[in-house]
Amino acid sequence: MLETSAETYWEVYEFLMREAELLDGHHEREWVELCTDDVVYRMPVRETRERGAGEGFNGQMYYFDETRGSLELRVRRLETEYAWAEDPPSRTRHFVTNIRVSSADAEEELAVRSNLLLYRSQGTELHQDLISAERRDVLRRSEEGLRLARREILLDHSVLTTHNLSIFL
Amino acid sequence: MLQQPAQHPAREGETYQALTEARRALVEEGKLLAKIYNEPAVFEMEKDNIFTKTWIFLAHETELPDPGDYVVRRIVGDSFIVSRDEHGEIHVLFNMCRHRGMQLCRVDSGNTSHFRCPYHGWTYRNTGKLNGAPFQKEAYGKDGLDKEEWAMTPAPAVGVYKGMIFASMNADVPPIEEYIGGMGWYLDFYLNKTPAGSEVIGAPQRWVLDADWKLAAENFFGDGYHTQSAHMSTIKAGIMRVKKAAYFKDGVQYKVGPHGGMFIPFKPGSFFNYPQDVVDGMRENLGADQFKVLEEDSILPLNATVFPNLSFLHSAMAVEPEGRSIPYLTIRLWQPLGPGKIEVWSWGVVEADAPEEFKEEAKRAYLTTFGASGTFEQDDAENWRSVTRVAAGEMADHHYLNYQMGLDHVEPIPDEEWPGPGTAYARNFADFAQQRFWRTYFEYLLGQ
Ligand code: FES
Ligand SMILES: [Fe+2]
Repeated sequence: MLETSAETYWEVYEFLMREAELLDGHHEREWVELCTDDVVYRMPVRETRERGAGEGFNGQMYYFDETRGSLELRVRRLETEYAWAEDPPSRTRHFVTNIRVSSADAEEELAVRSNLLLYRSQGTELHQDLISAERRDVLRRSEEGLRLARREILLDHSVLTTHNLSIFL
Repeated sequence: MLQQPAQHPAREGETYQALTEARRALVEEGKLLAKIYNEPAVFEMEKDNIFTKTWIFLAHETELPDPGDYVVRRIVGDSFIVSRDEHGEIHVLFNMCRHRGMQLCRVDSGNTSHFRCPYHGWTYRNTGKLNGAPFQKEAYGKDGLDKEEWAMTPAPAVGVYKGMIFASMNADVPPIEEYIGGMGWYLDFYLNKTPAGSEVIGAPQRWVLDADWKLAAENFFGDGYHTQSAHMSTIKAGIMRVKKAAYFKDGVQYKVGPHGGMFIPFKPGSFFNYPQDVVDGMRENLGADQFKVLEEDSILPLNATVFPNLSFLHSAMAVEPEGRSIPYLTIRLWQPLGPGKIEVWSWGVVEADAPEEFKEEAKRAYLTTFGASGTFEQDDAENWRSVTRVAAGEMADHHYLNYQMGLDHVEPIPDEEWPGPGTAYARNFADFAQQRFWRTYFEYLLGQ
């Protein structure tokens, strides 16, 4: 199943773990710097369709459809003192599993798929939110190490059961 | 629950008394009882007296471009299939089989000429007409079933207004054009400002929020005051490209029948940064009085609510750091799921005849600032959730909220100076519009 060496797999694993750690620790600025300048970061809307009619991603509307610039703006907002949705901040835990690595089209790139279970709680509320998704990434080698060049977040929900997306997945 | 459309619940009981007093406090003193939010007894009355009485938005025609297309939508607890038949006609059909009541369609959208019930296999055309039942002769005799009598049940009333498909649980509801009334003049800016009208982009975003539907509806109805605080982060981050938070003070607030909204100013001559093709389309398609508002007054409708739970937003925001503002449109439905709980349905909308490149930009401007991940909407959600939470306790029974802004020092714009229907005020820091929302609300809830 694995199309890469153990060494490459380990490198990818470390990248994904570091990324999760940064996000759970609210180091969004450092996280965004792990994205390439031409990053494509997307989370399409999913509909419930009949079994024969595909997975329900219509490819037109998204929850996120980001460039490096728009991700930067989101981070800039979080850095103001007025980002109420994240103050008090969400407590998140990114559980990243089922990591599959294969070579991508370009030589310096790796295609990586992983499963994400994102736990979120906030404030003193008793309930918690869970978001489940598959992530399809392209990681690109650079002088500083691997960088996120593309992420597609394929939700396992047609209705999101969290009050907003003031977090990254 | 088998209530006639025009009736109101027994005019007695604690809830009715408390609400009658709450209405008096609103009308006479400009104060709103906090208990109005997140209260199960109030929600029951809302279902009976508002959501089963008025028009409720279901879908936009452009979500069903081809014959056979359908989407499944709800009016509170009732599921409806909105379908387009082979002749292009729109049907709104109660999503329950006439045989033993199975939910006929269990997906969000698709394309089909027939709906086949999984339980015993009755099939219906996408017009609702019964097509057949398995073993019809053996089961129902040689004449079979009466296809008309056992057709799917249509919504009691259906109305299409400028591409928007509405239904009502109330067969006696006034026609949709009459219900929208003067609000149509304002809705043109959202739905119909260029010759091809507006179209929905893909499917709606949907998410669940522990917030009372009225908080969202009244905010979009005319809360011109919250932006300077709730959305300060977007000014600081350079998403909303304005210099001062007080920017929202100037503009126009209006109320028209049970509906209302507000205008914001933009840089004269900039046409809100619309591309030239769209500006030309607006000049062609809008009425001269409507276009003059854009060309000479340099204001444009920002937010609006069609009572009870349908809202519109027209804004322009930067998507990239130091980028220019890009105009966009969104429609949303605040679908109640229970007291203090909504499912938000949020559609991205764009002028159908706009250049493709602009459509793409407008979509991104919408979803980076509104919708579940929107840098504006995130903070709105936080506010509405918090109000809903604190309104649940006992203190809210006697806690009143201030709705007095501008009431004693702002005068309406004289009719001859304001081209639109209804009453307008040259000030967005004022509670006239939201007062109208609440008065309408109490009228439906308690009767005149
Ligand atoms: S319930 Fe639909 S066919 Fe029996
Ligand atoms: Fe807002």
